[in-house]
Amino acid sequence: MHIQIDEIAKDFGTTTALHPVSLSIPSGALVALLGPSGSGKTTLLRILGGLELRTSGRVMFNGQDATGLLVQERRAGFVFQSYALFRHMTVFENIAYGLRARPRANRPPKAEIERRVLRLLDLIQLPQIAARYPTQLSGGQRQRVALARALAIEPRMLLLDEPFGALDAKVRKELCQGLRNIHDETGLTTVFVTHDQEEGVELADLVVVMSMGRIEQIGKPADIRARPATAFVRDFIRA
Amino acid sequence: MSDVTLPTGPARRPARYRSATAEPPAARLTLIAVAVGGLGLLVGAPLLIVFAEALVGGWAAAVTSLASRDAQSAIRLTLLITAIAVPMNAVFGIAAAWFITKFDFRGKAFLITLIDLPFSISPVVAGLCIVLLFGANSALGSWLGGNGYSIVFAVPGIVLATVFVTFPFVARELIPVMIEQGHAEEEAALTLGASGWRTFRTVTLPNIRWALLYGTLLCTARAMGEFGAVAVVSGKIRGQTATMPITIEMFYNEYLSVAAFSMAALLTGFALLTLMLKTALELRHADALSATRRH
Amino acid sequence: MPGLGLSAGITFAMLTLVVALPIGALLWQGAEFGAFGIWATINRDRVRAALWLSFRLSFLAACFNLVFGVILAWVLVRYRFPGRRILDAAVDLPFALPTAVAGIALTALYAPNGVLGGLTSQIGWQVAYTPWGIWLALVFVGLPFVTRTVQPVIDEIEPEVEEASATLGASRWHALRHVIAPMLMPAALTGFALSLARAVGEYGSVIFIAGNIPLRTEIAPLLIVIQLEEYNYGAAGAIGLAMLAISFTMLLTINLIQIWSRRRIGHV
Repeated sequence: MHIQIDEIAKDFGTTTALHPVSLSIPSGALVALLGPSGSGKTTLLRILGGLELRTSGRVMFNGQDATGLLVQERRAGFVFQSYALFRHMTVFENIAYGLRARPRANRPPKAEIERRVLRLLDLIQLPQIAARYPTQLSGGQRQRVALARALAIEPRMLLLDEPFGALDAKVRKELCQGLRNIHDETGLTTVFVTHDQEEGVELADLVVVMSMGRIEQIGKPADIRARPATAFVRDFIRA
Repeated sequence: MSDVTLPTGPARRPARYRSATAEPPAARLTLIAVAVGGLGLLVGAPLLIVFAEALVGGWAAAVTSLASRDAQSAIRLTLLITAIAVPMNAVFGIAAAWFITKFDFRGKAFLITLIDLPFSISPVVAGLCIVLLFGANSALGSWLGGNGYSIVFAVPGIVLATVFVTFPFVARELIPVMIEQGHAEEEAALTLGASGWRTFRTVTLPNIRWALLYGTLLCTARAMGEFGAVAVVSGKIRGQTATMPITIEMFYNEYLSVAAFSMAALLTGFALLTLMLKTALELRHADALSATRRH
Repeated sequence: MPGLGLSAGITFAMLTLVVALPIGALLWQGAEFGAFGIWATINRDRVRAALWLSFRLSFLAACFNLVFGVILAWVLVRYRFPGRRILDAAVDLPFALPTAVAGIALTALYAPNGVLGGLTSQIGWQVAYTPWGIWLALVFVGLPFVTRTVQPVIDEIEPEVEEASATLGASRWHALRHVIAPMLMPAALTGFALSLARAVGEYGSVIFIAGNIPLRTEIAPLLIVIQLEEYNYGAAGAIGLAMLAISFTMLLTINLIQIWSRRRIGHV
C-alpha cells in the first residue's frame, strides 16, 4: 500500500515533536526512519499507526484520506519496542488475538484461525512454541512472536518501533535477515524506526534521516552514504 | 519527494480519533460517577451523620456529654491503653524486623506468617483466646488471681487484646523497607568501631524512621478504635474497663444518642487526622515506605 | 551483625505471650471439649444459622467489593478529575474508622427513621435490622481491600499492551475483557479473599445494625460473645475454632491464588 504523509506536524503541549513533514512511501517498500532519540521518528510512526493524533496535516493510504481513521480501522501491523505481548496468553492465543477480536460476522472459523496461526509460526520459524507463555521465551523469540501477531490480522502495512533495540548483536543480525525475508515474502509496505544507522542502512530500501522533528534527507542507503545532504546526516552516518 | 497532488477535497473532517488506551467520554463519566457516588454513600454519608448526630443539640450539649464522668474515664482509659500498647508494638516490630532481615535462619517464612496471623483472626476470637488463657476458669488465670493479679476484665487484658489485633502493623511495614536497604550501611558503621546500639541509633533508625512512623500511625488508629476483642476481655465495667468504643456502645444502648455520637465524633476526628498524616507521608516519603504500602 | 539475642528474644517472647499462648489456649480448650462436643455445639440450629449467615453475607459483601473495588481502583489510577486525591484517601476510611463508630453511623443512616432508611422504607426496602444491614456493614469494612490490591497492578500495566490490542483491531471493550481483566484477576481475587476473611470475623460494625434476632440476623462472632457472657467457655471455644478453621481455609486460598498467578504470568 502506498503511504502519503502531507505536512504532518505534532505538538505535545508547548514542545514540538514534529515540524510539518512530508513523505511518500511507495507500495511494498522497506523504509527506515533513522535518527537519534527525540528526532520525532517514533512519533511519526505512531501517527501512521493511529496511536497518536496529529496536530495538523494529512495521511493518505492508497490515495485515500486516512487521517481520521481509528487505530482499529487502520489495519496496521504494529510491533512495539517492548513487544507488548499479552503475558497471560500463550503464544498461540497472542497470535490469534486479532482474529478472535473481530466481530462475529467476519471472524474466521476456529479451524481457519488455527491454520493461520500455525502457518505464521512456521513463517517465523518457531513452529513448536504455540503452547508457551511469553515469560518462557527468549528476547529474540518474543520479537518474532510479536511480528507474527501483527501479521495475523492481514495488515495493509507493517510498522515496527525499534524492533531490534533490546537484543544482542548476534540475535539482531539474524532477526534483521528474518524481517527482510518476511518483507520480501509478504510484499508489505514496511516502516521501521531505528537509531542505529548501520541497521537502517543495511536493511532498508529507503532511508529517512530525521533530527529534531524534521526530515534531514530521504534517499537510497548508498546515496545517503555517498552524498549526505546536511552536516547532521554526515556526522550521524559516520558515527 | 514533492508529490504536488493535494486534492482540493472536502474541508477537514472532525477527527474521529479516540485514544487506543482510554474509554469513551461517556463511559469515563459513568465510571467516575459510580465511584464518587458509591464512595459518597458508603463512606461519606456515615462520616457526615456522625457529626450531624453529635451536634443535633448544639455544641454545648456535645461538649457537656463528653465531660461526664463515664466519658472522661473512657477517654483516659483509651489513652492509657494506647500509650502502653503502641510502644510495645513498636518495640516488637523493630526487634522482629531486625531479627528477620539481619540474620539468616530457617523457618523465616513461617515466622512471618505467624506475625501476620492476627490480621486473619476475628477480633472476637482473639478476645476469646485471651479469656481462655487468663480467665478465672483457666489454671493460669486462677493462679494469677490467687496472687492478686487479674488480667481478664482488667487493664492488662485490654492491653493484651489491643496488642494482639495490632500485632503485625509495625513489623509488616518495616520488614520490606529493611530488606530493601540491606546490611551494607550497618556493616560499615560496625567496622568503623561503632557499637551495635550506636549503629542502630545512628544508621538504621534514620533509614526506617518514616516507615516506623507510618506503621505506628496505623497501629495507633486501630488501637484506639478496637472494639470486638476489647468487648470480650474487658467485661465492660463502667468507669473501670470501658474504653471509648465500649462506652459508645453503652451510651447508644441507653439511648444517650448525643453522648454516643459525640464520643464517636471524637474518634472520627482522630481517624481523619490519621488519614491526613498517612496521606502526607505517602506523598512526601513514598520512597522511604515499603513498596507494598497498600494494606 | 549484633543484636541477635536481644531481637530474637523480644520477637519470640512477644509472639509467645501475645499470639501463640492465647491461640494455644483456644486449641487446648477445643481438645478438652473433644470433637464430639465441638460438633454437637456447631450442629445446633442457632449456631448453624449464625455461621451460615456470617459466611453467606460475607461472601455477598466481598462480591460487591470485588466489582466496586476494581471500578474504584480503575477510576483512581486512570482518570484525572477534581477531588481524586480526596477520593483516594477516603478509600482508607473504613480501615481508620473504629468499627463501633461505623456501626452506629450506618444504623443512624439506615434505620427506618434515618435519612437513607426513610427513603428505602418508602419503597418497602428495610435495611437496618435485616440481613441487608449486615451486608451493608460488611461491605463497609471490606471496601478498601480490593481497591488497594488492584491499584498498583493497574499502575504497572504498560500502555503498549493496550495499544497493541487496538492495533490488532480489537475494540476497547474487547481489550478490557480479554487483556485487562485477566491481568487484574489475581490481585482482585486476593483482595476478595482478604475482604471475605475480614467480613467473616467482623463484629463491631455489624451488631448495631443487625438487630441480632436469633436464627435470622445473629452473626457467628456475636454468638461467641453471648456464650462467654453465660460463662459457657466450651461452646464459645467450639464456635471460635470453627471460625478459625474458616479463616485458615481462606488464608490458604489466598496463598494458592498467589502461587498460581505467579507461575502463570510471572508476577502477582
